[in-house]
Amino acid sequence: MGIVIAVISGKGGVGKTTATANLGLGIGLNEKKCVVVDFDIGQRNLDMILGLENRVVYDMVQVMDEEATVQQALIKSKVSENLFFLAASQSKDKSVLKSEKVQKLINSLKKDFDFVILDAPAGIESGYEHTIEFADAAIVVVNPEVSSIRDADRAIGILDSKSDKVKNGEEVAKYLIINRIVADMVESGEMLKSDDILEILNIKLLGKVPEDKGVIDASNQGKPVILDKKSIAGQAYIRIAGRLCGQQVDMKDVEISDSGLFKRIVGMFR
Amino acid sequence: MKNNQYSVKIFETTVEDEDEFIAFFDTNYALFQDHLIVLHGNLSPRIEKYLLSKSLKYIHNVTLPKGRSRKALEEDLLQRERESAISMQIVEAKLKKLSSRLQNNLMVMDSMVRSGREISIEGDLLLLNRVNSGATINITGNLIITKVVEGAIRCHGNFMMLTASPKANIIFHGVEVENDLLENKLNRVELKNNEIIITPVLKKEINWA
Repeated sequence: MGIVIAVISGKGGVGKTTATANLGLGIGLNEKKCVVVDFDIGQRNLDMILGLENRVVYDMVQVMDEEATVQQALIKSKVSENLFFLAASQSKDKSVLKSEKVQKLINSLKKDFDFVILDAPAGIESGYEHTIEFADAAIVVVNPEVSSIRDADRAIGILDSKSDKVKNGEEVAKYLIINRIVADMVESGEMLKSDDILEILNIKLLGKVPEDKGVIDASNQGKPVILDKKSIAGQAYIRIAGRLCGQQVDMKDVEISDSGLFKRIVGMFR
Repeated sequence: MKNNQYSVKIFETTVEDEDEFIAFFDTNYALFQDHLIVLHGNLSPRIEKYLLSKSLKYIHNVTLPKGRSRKALEEDLLQRERESAISMQIVEAKLKKLSSRLQNNLMVMDSMVRSGREISIEGDLLLLNRVNSGATINITGNLIITKVVEGAIRCHGNFMMLTASPKANIIFHGVEVENDLLENKLNRVELKNNEIIITPVLKKEINWA
């Protein structure tokens, strides 16, 4: 029986889908069976970031309506044979989701995979509520800025009141990924420190991902940044995926710029 | 005890001019033989003597009960009962309100108040956690919060004790409290003689953990 993890944020554009794609691939590269499900019905993006847009035949809504089987709809990743992808419907909207159907789909995925990762839509509407309803854990993605943190706080509040596990008296594990950290800005005080974010949200830290220009190009190419061994964001995702798979990986402090004193002095003379 | 109840015809009049009065009764006294005459005004011995000579029964300076039906009387009784019940309720509500001001029904909360949550409390609250930006607490009684407040507070109690961030919106008895005065340390905000008084509880910030 696998674990169901919802990737949530509240605010849009903080890197939920990028994180989902990279973590899914990272878990797959760690030899664990993983499926990533795009729950953003009507606005699917995960297929593009995984580079699988031309492979989508059946989507998740068709599986739920029993027009296709799960096996037919699952798309195998080109990079890792342990990673599978289930696309969202691009033509329907969020109102097609129904609790019983979602539960049935998730239960059938749980049987075959070690990790079921759900990419939640932005916002806190019905689509979001269905994503978190049957999740065992949630990964909250935030950017180090106040609006993202407040929206995440609200999303956690809803998770704590609407999730199926909470209704049965259990607790949903919540982990935080701080995305797009710019070390220089944190040092100069322009960007929120991760300690402050943890203080506000009061959940466990799963990892910090530094800002990396390579992410955009990686998304455009359909090759998640985790495959680029030189990329700092890719390395961060490798560490996070390792932690998810139960490895002891030390937290690297990405909030200290590694440009160093020497480099800075050289920079002054340029 | 023997009781009798009668319905009596009553002629009510006021003595203003004695001659006019006597002239009126000279012509009409036969009509008032079985009436009870109720007199107002000055009753002189002359009038008294005259009424006696005509053998008319009279009483002087009496306010008569106005005749009302049994139904009207019962309704009046019911109305009075209702009014007393309402006034009892008002007294009880006032007592309850007062008791909530007197540090009763203390509620202790340890959970974080996350964005979007609105808490309304009758009574006092001791909160051992944060109030995040976008959350609201409405409270009729006193309030103590041991961690930073970034959300909105509406307090109507005698006092509140809290530390607020510059983002917070704190309203005490309908008056907005300046956040600068509440920063960095635990502060006591209270109402004395219609004035809001803010005093730092400790010079140094306390670590509650």
